[in-house]
Formats: sequence, C-alpha cells, structure tokens
Amino acid sequence: MKKTIISAILVLTALAAHASKADSTFLGMGFRFEGRVGYNIGGTAPMGMPATIRALNRFSLTPNITFGVGAYKPIYGRWGAKVGITFENKGMDMDARVKNYHMEIVKGGEVLAGVFTGNVVTRVTQWMFTVPLQVTCDVGKVRLRCGPYFSYLTGRTFDGWAYDGYLRVDDPTGAKVMLGHDEGERGEYDFSDSMRRLQIGMGIGADWYFMKKFGVWADLNMGFHGVHKSDFHTIEQTLYPIYGAVGITYKIR
Amino acid sequence: MHLKNRIGFLFRYYFFVKMLRKFFKHTGVLMMAAAMMPLSSCFKDEPLNAEADIERVVVKVAQPEQFFFQLTDTAQQVLSTDSVVTFVVRGHADLTALAPRLTLTPGATVVPANGSVQDFSKGPVTYVVTSQDGQWKRRYKIVFEPQLVIVSDTIKYDFEIFDLEPSSKKYYLWYNLNAAGQPIQEWASGNPGYKIARATAKPDEYPTIPLAEGYEGYGVKLITRDTGPFGKMSKKPIAAGNLFLGEFDMSKATTETLKSTRFGLPFTKRPTKYTGYYKYTGGDTYKDKDGNVVPGKKDIGSIYAVLYRNHDAAGNEVMLFGDDVQTNPNIVAIAKVKDLHETTEWTAFDVPFEYSKDVDEQLLENRGYSLTVVFSASVEGDLFIGAIGSTLCVDKVRVICTREE
Repeated sequence: MKKTIISAILVLTALAAHASKADSTFLGMGFRFEGRVGYNIGGTAPMGMPATIRALNRFSLTPNITFGVGAYKPIYGRWGAKVGITFENKGMDMDARVKNYHMEIVKGGEVLAGVFTGNVVTRVTQWMFTVPLQVTCDVGKVRLRCGPYFSYLTGRTFDGWAYDGYLRVDDPTGAKVMLGHDEGERGEYDFSDSMRRLQIGMGIGADWYFMKKFGVWADLNMGFHGVHKSDFHTIEQTLYPIYGAVGITYKIR
Repeated sequence: MHLKNRIGFLFRYYFFVKMLRKFFKHTGVLMMAAAMMPLSSCFKDEPLNAEADIERVVVKVAQPEQFFFQLTDTAQQVLSTDSVVTFVVRGHADLTALAPRLTLTPGATVVPANGSVQDFSKGPVTYVVTSQDGQWKRRYKIVFEPQLVIVSDTIKYDFEIFDLEPSSKKYYLWYNLNAAGQPIQEWASGNPGYKIARATAKPDEYPTIPLAEGYEGYGVKLITRDTGPFGKMSKKPIAAGNLFLGEFDMSKATTETLKSTRFGLPFTKRPTKYTGYYKYTGGDTYKDKDGNVVPGKKDIGSIYAVLYRNHDAAGNEVMLFGDDVQTNPNIVAIAKVKDLHETTEWTAFDVPFEYSKDVDEQLLENRGYSLTVVFSASVEGDLFIGAIGSTLCVDKVRVICTREE
C-alpha cells in the first residue's frame, strides 16, 4: 500500500511539474492546470438508515487524504469543463449499535448466519485513483462543478467485529450465543475481497479562489452502486460510498 | 427500490446545489460541506422485538414443600435451545389446576394466556409464544413429572438410544429411559457449540458421535476435533469430544466456555461404584492453548463421576461448571478412572466413589444431591488443549448404588 501511495505522489507531482511547464495551448486546447489536496469525510452508508441500526457509538477520522491534479478549459462564457486525476482514500471507522441486525459471516467455507443485537465496528479503507469529468459554471469568484467520476481501487479493506451483544443463530428463534468484548469472544468479519475495484458515481463541488493562485474547494461525491460487488448479499443493505471533501487548490498556471 | 433511491438522491443534489448558490450569493464564502447527512438525524423508530422466548417459568402453589422436593424447584430458567420445561414434583402432587407464570421476551404474547390455570395431570401443556413483531413463533411444552422411584440399585448407561437433534438434524443427542420407560434427554455434549463453529460438518464429523461397534450394541465415540476457521478466530482451536449428565448452555459457548457445561442432575441414591468399558487412542500432535505444538507430550482422556449437594447452606442452588466440576466445596464423592491409558481393546474400568463428606439420607431422597458422569477425549479439552484426533470410546457404563437401611 505504501508503495502505491508513494508512486501516486511521484506520478502526480511529475504531472503537475509537466503541466506548469506546458504553455496554455497544451495540446492546442487552452487548458489551465491546478493541484489540489484535501480530506474526505463521510462513509459507506445505506440510502436511508434501516431501522435495525439504532445509534452511532463512535465515528473516528481515518487518513482520508485526497490529492491530485486537474485541468480546466473554459468553453463558453461562464461555462467550462474540467478533468482530473486524484489519488485518495475513502475510509471509515465507526461503531454502531444495532438491533435484530442480519449478519452472515463466511470464513474458510464455514458460514455463521443469524440475527445480532449489540454493537458492530466497521472499518473501511478504499485507496483509489479517481478521474472526475465535470461541467463548470463560474459565479463570481466561485466555480461550481458537477459531473460523474470513475474510481479504481488499489487498496481495499472492509472488516470489523460484532461485540457486546448476542446472536440468534439462523433466525430470532435460534440458539442464543453471547458475543463478548475482547478478541476471541467477539465475532470478526472481513468482506474486503467482496469489494468492487471500479466505482462510478456523481460529484458536485465548488472552488473559491480567494487569492490569485490559491483557493479552497469542497466536493460531495456519491456512488451509483454499493462498495461491494452486486452478488454480495451478506450485509442486508447496499452500502454506497457517500463522501464530502474539503481542501485547498493551487493554480499551476 | 433502486429507482426510488436514485430519485431521492437526485433531489438531494438539486437542493444541495440550490443551497450552495444561495449561500454564495449572500456570503460569498465557501465553507465545509458536511457529508454526514445520511448518518445523522435519520435513525428510524426502534424495530419491535423479534424473539419469542420463554425465559423463565415460576409455579406458585399453596404449600410448595408438599408439592416440590426443593423450594428452588418452583422456578426454572429456560435455555434458549430448550423447548421442553420439566418440573419434577412429589408423587402425590395435584397437577389438575396449576398456573405457571412465564417470563417472555418483552412484548411477546402467549397462548394459552400467561398465568392461566391449566390441567397438567394429563401430560404436557403446549404454549405458543408469538414475538412482539408478530413474525416469529416458538412452541414450548411445560411438563410436571411426578418423581419416579428408582427401583434398581444399578443405573445403566448403554448409549443405545440416540437421535439427530430434531430442529437442525445436524448432530446427535443421547437419551436414557426413565423409570416409566420413556426416553429423557439427560446427556449433554459440546455438539451444539460445534455446530456454530462448523456449520458444514456432517453428523459423523461432530466431536461426540454414536459408535456402531460398541462393547455391546452401540457405544459412544468421543473425538477431539478441529473447530476450523471460526474456532481459530475465537481462540478455541479444538473441541474435545465429551458427554456428561447435565445441560449444555449454548449462550455461554463463546464468552464463558467453562460455564457452558452445566454438570449434574438430581440423584436420589448413594453411588458406591462406577464401572464400564473404554478404548483410547491419543491424537498425533499435542497443542497448547495458542495452537503451538508441545513435542513429546501425549494426550489422555478422562472418565469420572461426581456426586454433590445441589444447594448451599443458604438454600441457593448449586451447579457444577467446567471450572469447578472436581473442586467445588459442595462435592461429596468422586469416582475417577486414574489409570486411563491408550488401548485399542475394550478395557474394563471399576472405580469406587470416594466420599469426602457424609451423605444426608433425608436430603438424598428429596433430590438434594446431583450426580454427573463425565467422559472427555482430552483431559484439558475444556481449556482447548489437546491433540486433534484423540478418541475415547465408552460403553456399558454402570453406577452401582447401595440401599442404606
């Protein structure tokens, strides 16, 4: 993973350096270049909270950095287009209280399924290269953006554990099994291998250049499909990547 | 559902853009966009309870000491895996009009009504519990069983009556015949716990299985098994084949394993001798708790029986568990096979019950003592230490009692 992050930094820095040297008629298309860094905030969450999820015990920040380069081209009046490449992590670390929550844990060909009441920790990392394609509209110093994005995941984990509660094996009338707090007493799961490599979604955002070269930006990105493969039904709800991001941007030229 | 979601999602975008525009118009300042909107502020109402358990049954009668043997017999805790609740009562007890009070899963309902008067003299009464959400039902039988006098002085355990567990058909259960000739489930094993770890295991791959070539007829075969990936995950890498008189409490299997084995059933005779036949083969590789191989160490099984007072001085019920089955201060006598060794031939054992305390005859008659008979393929199997493949075969077990005049 570290290797991927380092090579991504190198590639993106090289791109930025190249862009800074290129003249404004790069490929004869009149592009303007920028670099950006930021932070993703959000989660992989169902559309509409199911009643089986009762409360959020904890939501911890994960190293959700995002950095990349972008190219902007004015098209007509205030309208323009933007394309970029970003390397980012859409991680999540949360602890939720659940009731009658359907669970199915698969490990080495063995399946443990049932209905869990207690607490569930979910830890997600999704390191990915993202290419956004956006239409832009300038409103004063603010550039509004909207368009689809395409992501390819290079690193993915989706794991966690169910703890301090009880599982009814198979269904609510099945045997009651207590799950404890510590490793060995709780129910661990790992659905990393069932995650998609390719994510497609929609993003909106805005850049505000408060100085000539420097600006701040904010985005909201939402996946069209869940983070897991479509044949994955172990988790009752489809979990969509829903992330906001904030950061700073610098006009390379 | 998906279409609905997409529409909802487009709406959210639309309002978000609208909001941003308004925001910019008025302030010209771009601030952080909170992406947490799907997480907060939208928890739905709590779902109704889906479980339909009878957790506890209490029977109030005018003179409990005339009706039950022990005052604590008036209440019974019901395990999640049980569907029959049995009260053992005195032979002359009137069973025609009893009103058991049931503690149900909160919100659940029961037919016949909770606390209603029922006639138990004609046999078990069936109660059907419906969960609060109306989606789930469980059927229970409540039985009042007059204590039958054990006539014979030799209690025979031949392991001839066994069957697959009725709901899952995954593992075997063993029964003894009561004095009236009816099969009752007195034997317990760790098999239900193994089912959680290895759902794919076939009945004959469980730790405790029937043995077709017993000493006479069927015997029982106890094998220390690998608990697979889930066992490894929960740091319980092996399951020793075991069989004992008592109950197995599934709910404790993952958290307090030593408390899941509830040893002993009320016993009204004074045992003197413990006999039977066994075969034993130790598994190849002995491993410690963390799964490390202990070179040169050989596994060994265990066969013993324990008689204990099932109430303490304050009148509270006493049950022996995995952590004190041979050390609890309420123990009165232990019969243990001390020279158990590897043997491929049926080998007889015959050991005395060694008494450390006197037996109160009055209390004995009133079900104040409990007996457990225990077999395990790995002596430290309760701590998940042993060798996979260790096999103990047992048959024709006898507990010989003397009648005290």
